Amino acid sequence: MPARAEAGRAPGPPDGGWGWVVVFGAFVSIGFAYAFPKGLAIFFKEIQDFFGTSYSEIAWVSSIMLATTYGAGPISSILVNRYGSRPVVMFGGLLCGVGMISAAFCTSILQLYICVGFITGFGLALNLQPSVIIIGKYFLKRRPIANGLAMAGSPVMLCTLAPLNQFLFDNFGWRGSFLILGAILLNCCVAGALFRPIGPGPAPVKTQVTEKGKDALKGKITEDGPMENKTEEEGEKDCFEKVNQYLDFSLFKHRGFLIYLIGNVLMFLGFFAPIVFLAPYAKHTGIDEYSAAFLLSILAIVDMVARPTTGIVANSRWVRPRIQYFFSFAIAFNGACHLLCPLASSYTGLIVYSSFFGLAFGMVCAMLFETLMDLVGAARFTSAVGLVTIAECCTILLGPPIGGILIDTFGDYKYMFIKCGAVMVLAGTFLFIMNYYNYRMLAKEEKERKAKEEDPKSVRTENEGKKNWNQDSTQDGPELEPLREKGEGLKKEMNGTNEA
Amino acid sequence: MPATFSWRCLVRLLLLLLLLLLLCTSLSGGNPADPPMTTQDSNQTQVISVTKMKAGHELSDAATQELKPGGKQSTDVAVYEIVLPGPSEKNISLASPVKVELICKLDENSNLKNPQVTWKKGSETISHTTKTQNSWAIQVTVSGSSELGSYTCFLKAEKEVSATFHLHVPPVDGREKPMIAYIGDTAVMVCKTEYNAKTWSWYMTNGTELISIDKILPKDKYDIENPSASESRLEVHRLTTADTGVYWCEAAFDLGGSKARFDVKVLSIAEPLKPFIAVVAEVAILVTTIALYEVYSKRKAKVNQKTT
Repeated sequence: MPARAEAGRAPGPPDGGWGWVVVFGAFVSIGFAYAFPKGLAIFFKEIQDFFGTSYSEIAWVSSIMLATTYGAGPISSILVNRYGSRPVVMFGGLLCGVGMISAAFCTSILQLYICVGFITGFGLALNLQPSVIIIGKYFLKRRPIANGLAMAGSPVMLCTLAPLNQFLFDNFGWRGSFLILGAILLNCCVAGALFRPIGPGPAPVKTQVTEKGKDALKGKITEDGPMENKTEEEGEKDCFEKVNQYLDFSLFKHRGFLIYLIGNVLMFLGFFAPIVFLAPYAKHTGIDEYSAAFLLSILAIVDMVARPTTGIVANSRWVRPRIQYFFSFAIAFNGACHLLCPLASSYTGLIVYSSFFGLAFGMVCAMLFETLMDLVGAARFTSAVGLVTIAECCTILLGPPIGGILIDTFGDYKYMFIKCGAVMVLAGTFLFIMNYYNYRMLAKEEKERKAKEEDPKSVRTENEGKKNWNQDSTQDGPELEPLREKGEGLKKEMNGTNEA
Repeated sequence: MPATFSWRCLVRLLLLLLLLLLLCTSLSGGNPADPPMTTQDSNQTQVISVTKMKAGHELSDAATQELKPGGKQSTDVAVYEIVLPGPSEKNISLASPVKVELICKLDENSNLKNPQVTWKKGSETISHTTKTQNSWAIQVTVSGSSELGSYTCFLKAEKEVSATFHLHVPPVDGREKPMIAYIGDTAVMVCKTEYNAKTWSWYMTNGTELISIDKILPKDKYDIENPSASESRLEVHRLTTADTGVYWCEAAFDLGGSKARFDVKVLSIAEPLKPFIAVVAEVAILVTTIALYEVYSKRKAKVNQKTT
């Protein structure tokens, strides 16, 4: 394929320029996706009184929204693989808006479940995944910074939405607020409009677009590499293989992906519960309501600063090649914070805890998707993120209720903190050990590949189907190669771009 | 180009994923996202149900006194204590006639030695008993609203310190902030208290008068429900702008009545529609601007390509 040969000489991801505008769009989009469900809690008491329901029935709304946002990940991934990020985010923004606007006219709690829970949740899912994916397409060298900046959207949006929601509620009641929030969510469409499509390298996409008119789709499919050749060769394929085009299930054979999946699924068991229980714990120790809310504000502010800072640190040449270790350290640090929390009984102690928690939380969140991209490469990241979110969905939903059960049985918050801390330290240690093993295996495979390259046999093995795809994917890991072995310079960069 | 991709396949896949989604949601179901609030609520209701058995138990005001279980001895007398130096006020809610004992205690580490003690209600002095070397008490039999009020103990030595017990009927929780509702919609006001009230009544302010809701026609516009003795719910249907105003709910206890206030504002749908349209216009303008800018920059790039 002559076009692919040219791709070797094409520039890699821009790492700047329009990319920073895309980061801003992702900032807005990710911010809404994470902060919006949390911001809705202000309305719940009023809605509970209005419909005469119990508190747990109202809490279902939040749970359904969260479940849909994470559970619809694979659907999001498939749509991005098929249509690209931009249409999906714009459609998602539209869906969110429609969901909230129709929620303003609801007459029963069941209708709220559907409008706010399912429809808006699904819209937010269509916002979250593509935003993360497109960062991987626009950045390589500066990707950790871009990720850190984009993920900082979550605490910033939360700090904006919380007082905004209170203001809207005081002036318009819950129905009017939902109507206006629906309009505000339409701003996700604006963010989506900024996501200009970009191929694996501008050169091949451009020539094909100009030559074959509306075959922009082909440019996207070249990302899937050998899969495309398969389509051309075979006529009728069975459903499963077609599915694999759009959602790469072969990732389950990818060592790095499996390590990431297991570690993260474990981590999320203890990730969100402390935030949910921080204010009640503070009130339990006798602190008044406003000071307890202030703790959460401290957390958000430290989080806001920590995320871009972590991005910058992760991008430095000492950390980037070993970014998986940094991630494991961040998780273990987070766990250590929770384990030490029961020792903080005074208000100052809790403030210190909140600050460190905010720092640790920001560090983990900033690198959440960066490490996945680092392991599987930008090409397969689309499918990877969908599969990871649906797996995390279960543990994310189980975390706070398990914490609640612990608190109810023992009557003491410290067991919940100990459980969360222990789970996260375990996850961090697991990831650290397994990534050490993974790095060694990657180094070994790299040596074998170099030995093969000495052979006059062609390195362009992409045309030989899945088997070589696996080989290529293990080379995806060392995207850090461009940074680690500067002596190898251009050649390695080309390799990294090819896989991207 | 996946021309052979069948829509049947896509539908099958989407159904599978929808199933997974429902599975996720069912996992989340039954588990409230914020169980600790229910935990705290249920803890509180447990405490309250225990205290409701003893009429007139202590309700501490967070701003003035720490949580302390009162009622140390027999079920006949409820005991309340303030330790000085420390928070010097205590709010005590009494729903039915009861005997209370109010104790002022001096901390051993305090500088005051052998103070002169007086108990007063308003300007009236009450005789007290010395319980121990450092504590003094009075007994009050509360049988009607006249015995409610503020009882203060004064301890005078080198300097004077005092502590006050406020005896009152249980407060009723309303809403301090105005409640917004829309024309044609229903307004719901929920009145809660911590004790069982004998009766509930609702009033609406018309000018300076209070009119009982029961007497307003048409009868089906207002719905009053009492899900329990400690809660009352007023629903006002088919709202119009004339329904804007102040509503009162009154809980009647043995020792008197207690009121809560609701400020209801009825708005037309045009009110939130204005900011809504403004935001939608902003979104439309931004999206169009971005699209036009993209078309413009692509054209410029093409022109540059052609010239170079």
